[in-house]
Amino acid sequence: MATYSASDLDYQRLLKAARRLSLPQSAPTIRIAILADCATQQLALLLRVLLGEAGLRAEVYEAPFAAIELESCAPDSGLYRFAPDAVIVLNCAQALRAAHACQGNEQADFAAQHLARIVGVWAAVQSHCEAMILQSTFALPPDSPYGNFGLSVPGSLRASVAVLNAGIAAAARDCARVRIHDVEGVASWVGRDRFFDERAWDLWKAPCSLEELPRVANNMVSVLLALRGGVVKCVVTDLDNTLWGGVIGDDGLDGIVLSAHGGGAGESYVRLQQFLKQLRARGVLLAVCSKNEATTALAPFLEHPDMVLRRDDISVFVANWEDKASGIRRVRDELGIGLDSMVFLDDSPFERNLVRELLPEVIVPELPEDPSRFVAFLSELNLFETAYLSSEDRQRAALYQHEAQRRVVAAQSASVQDYLRSLDMQAVLARFDRFHMPRIAQLMQRSNQFNLCTRRLSEAQCAALAEDQAFIPLYAKLADRLGDHGLISVVVLERDEQALLVRDWLMSCRVLARGVEQFLMNYVVAQAARFGLRRVIGEYIPTAKNAMVRDFFAQFGFTRVSATGDQWALEVAAYRPVETFIRLVDPGTAIQAVEVP
Amino acid sequence: MTQLNSIADRMSRIFRDVFDDDTISVRDDMTSADIAGWDSLSHINLIYAIEKEFRIVFTIGEAGGSLKNVGELRALIEKKTASKP
Repeated sequence: MATYSASDLDYQRLLKAARRLSLPQSAPTIRIAILADCATQQLALLLRVLLGEAGLRAEVYEAPFAAIELESCAPDSGLYRFAPDAVIVLNCAQALRAAHACQGNEQADFAAQHLARIVGVWAAVQSHCEAMILQSTFALPPDSPYGNFGLSVPGSLRASVAVLNAGIAAAARDCARVRIHDVEGVASWVGRDRFFDERAWDLWKAPCSLEELPRVANNMVSVLLALRGGVVKCVVTDLDNTLWGGVIGDDGLDGIVLSAHGGGAGESYVRLQQFLKQLRARGVLLAVCSKNEATTALAPFLEHPDMVLRRDDISVFVANWEDKASGIRRVRDELGIGLDSMVFLDDSPFERNLVRELLPEVIVPELPEDPSRFVAFLSELNLFETAYLSSEDRQRAALYQHEAQRRVVAAQSASVQDYLRSLDMQAVLARFDRFHMPRIAQLMQRSNQFNLCTRRLSEAQCAALAEDQAFIPLYAKLADRLGDHGLISVVVLERDEQALLVRDWLMSCRVLARGVEQFLMNYVVAQAARFGLRRVIGEYIPTAKNAMVRDFFAQFGFTRVSATGDQWALEVAAYRPVETFIRLVDPGTAIQAVEVP
Repeated sequence: MTQLNSIADRMSRIFRDVFDDDTISVRDDMTSADIAGWDSLSHINLIYAIEKEFRIVFTIGEAGGSLKNVGELRALIEKKTASKP
């Protein structure tokens, strides 16, 4: 398999490794031809080493400099006599820049012309041999005679590169034998300033800094290996301090660190779960291997509201006190896949080393200590390269297309009303519970503007409210088709003989103007009616920051109770519900609890 | 200022690495003709390795071969490392 840490891509190390490269007789051979408009000697050498380290003997053919069209169009060229398994086409940005300068710049059809040339090369290669084609994208060049404006100038170099890259990707989608190797992706990852080396181009026609050339080569190798089927089929993951912070057995369901909106490490763990969920959706299987009691380990998957991964995302769930190598073997047996197609994620160096020791075929990334770096680290290793779309991918792709169409519709919709309707907003409304207590308290402490009474209740006080049956302490969560906003509003109601009293009402300003407060008021008044109460009474306590909600009660038809104070009352019978575009979902047990006073 | 490794010693180490020959000891009068495998390709690797080791940057003229022999290269490295803060 490919290398698992960035330090393995050191240019000097690879030069030395090239000399010592020795492969067993049995090593399979891969024949690679390189067509490029830049120098390729170093690249060829790096490909040999990196493929060699992946267990493949690479035979490399370097076509003459800048002979991409010549070699691909002539049936008797060196390229076809070589009979390659794969043809790597590397069109570099510096050569494009030179062509752009030659044509007197700002030709509106410059990108189209070049795209036609590139696609023409694919057609020629496809008609003369059976090889797969790996096509580069163009690194966005640093030159910009227009500054920021460059992207807006049709035919400018930067605008052309952007158009070309999009065009290459779109055209490749329709060619079964063409895959992209994304040079622009490499350049933007390392930073263009480090990637481009104009001295190396001017002197030697090197496509980039030699320090970064191994990344370009390794990126090609990732695609080549994926084409040969060397893809990761399953991620086996630990639980405690890997999928969430803390130890579920000690800290319990509400003690583990995992939170979509709470700030801090809880969000880091959520992001890793989202990353794994994307892999799952792409067809990579997920398995759990944890030292835990099975019921304890399962609980978050079943009950924790911020778990992104759910029980049915996990194909094999191993939670026991045996060593992890045994657990991974069990996953292998149940799924019937090879150990070399499995990645093992674990925060513990002890477990990682044990698995490396006992199951050397399993890919064991050296996860960073800091969970906020997990996903970037895994992305950099590029462990999950794929060469083919699964049927799930295709379904998703279709889904995305529909989604894109929906967005176009939304963009065209004339009114705010239409837009809000198109958002498909869904709210969860429930009595305070222990999972949400930290976020509720956080909102209580922090929100200033949309806050009617600005009572700074602590987490303990919120917890006490939750237990007090005289009160109806509610939180609201909001999601729409563009994303999940999390817990965004808190309303605390108290029931007395005659009226429903609004004790607290606050909302995150992230969700202003979406109709959340109208949705909640409809609900509050409906509750009052259900309880047989005549009035809803609220209070606005002005502060230096909450002028935003000065007219909050007035807008719903409340009238001032006294001339001096800011007490407001509403006759329940007179209330007309406000139209909103929010759906109440997942009522569950919490809502029923509201109805029991 | 005393240096444990003289510039010439460090250069020799780099030359041995780049040209894969443990017998190389650089002398000022050496040219590319004296070292097997010192071609345009390995020259690039040599320039990169020297820049990395001494934390200096050659101009395009210097990197491109305006230097006549190893002595000029050594003098240039001395100049560039001395002028660094």
